[in-house]
Amino acid sequence: MDNVMLKSKDVTLLEILDRVLEKGVVISGDIVISVADVDLVYVGLKVLLSSVETMERLRGAPFAGAGEEPT
Amino acid sequence: METSAKDLIYLYCITKAKPHYADLQKTGIKVYPIYSQGIYAIVSKVSESKFSEDNLKKKLTDMSWVEKNVRQHEDLVEAIMEETTVLPFKFASVFRTEKNVEKLLKEHNAEFKKIIADLENTDEWGLKIYCNSEQLKALLEEKNELIREKTQEITSSGKGKAYFLKKKRDELIRNMLNEKISEYTQNSFEKLKKMSSRAKINKILPKEVTEKKEDMVLNSAFLVNKKLIIGFNHALVNLKTKYFDKGLSFDCSGPWPPYNFCSIRGNEEKHG
Repeated sequence: MDNVMLKSKDVTLLEILDRVLEKGVVISGDIVISVADVDLVYVGLKVLLSSVETMERLRGAPFAGAGEEPT
Repeated sequence: METSAKDLIYLYCITKAKPHYADLQKTGIKVYPIYSQGIYAIVSKVSESKFSEDNLKKKLTDMSWVEKNVRQHEDLVEAIMEETTVLPFKFASVFRTEKNVEKLLKEHNAEFKKIIADLENTDEWGLKIYCNSEQLKALLEEKNELIREKTQEITSSGKGKAYFLKKKRDELIRNMLNEKISEYTQNSFEKLKKMSSRAKINKILPKEVTEKKEDMVLNSAFLVNKKLIIGFNHALVNLKTKYFDKGLSFDCSGPWPPYNFCSIRGNEEKHG
């Protein structure tokens, strides 16, 4: 217990998202086409993160929305 | 299906020294430097079918795509960080042309150089503190004199009175719990801030995101001089020991690229 530090290789996706998506240099202005609205993106990801488990449980089940686009 | 094969320029980070080609190769991404006035932008070509604004929005709904690309971004910046100070950019900082990246390097040249100079010989460390509220609550009920008195009062009262006394006691416990948590987290943050060049408090993340049973009670980042990391670690170990039986757990990670300490608008270090 005398070393409580972790190496970043062991850290969760959460730690990475909390930085790479939330922080870092942001340039605004017309030279950047797509620093997508990060707050929005992150809210979207929050929902996604919590639904990953659900998605995994549903994997393999028949897709309920299929057939809405007839060919 | 996208027919356009046009490339865009994805910017990972800015450095003062040119990273070695071999180190960039090992990440598996074909990155290359764009140079202007003493600084390098580390970039790669990405396809418009993934990284144009509209296409990116669609891609962001695909969690496995996001995970893969965010990790790739991080791996690349970490590889470069091993040999030189990096100024990490946010995920998906995409430019139309190399000329535009050059323009960025020129326009913000002095600013970028100053930030890099300030970051030299430092690493970012992250600390998230979680609290097992049930454990801390049980501890208060057992050890706190005032709460114990209230509990005794409840057991020696009649049914009706006991009900109200219990409600009041529970409110007292809730308030005390919050007080204790903010005392412990503030103390932890201040102790570690003393061992750092800079420190920052970030937004608490909800349980749906952390997927932990415990509540996050502090989300923070510290910029620590590489030579002083032993002192920082020592302070952290002390805190962990001190608050172990209070139900607090310390999740420290790093060394990170300085994502939390590279704002070019001077608007960082605000709480929240």
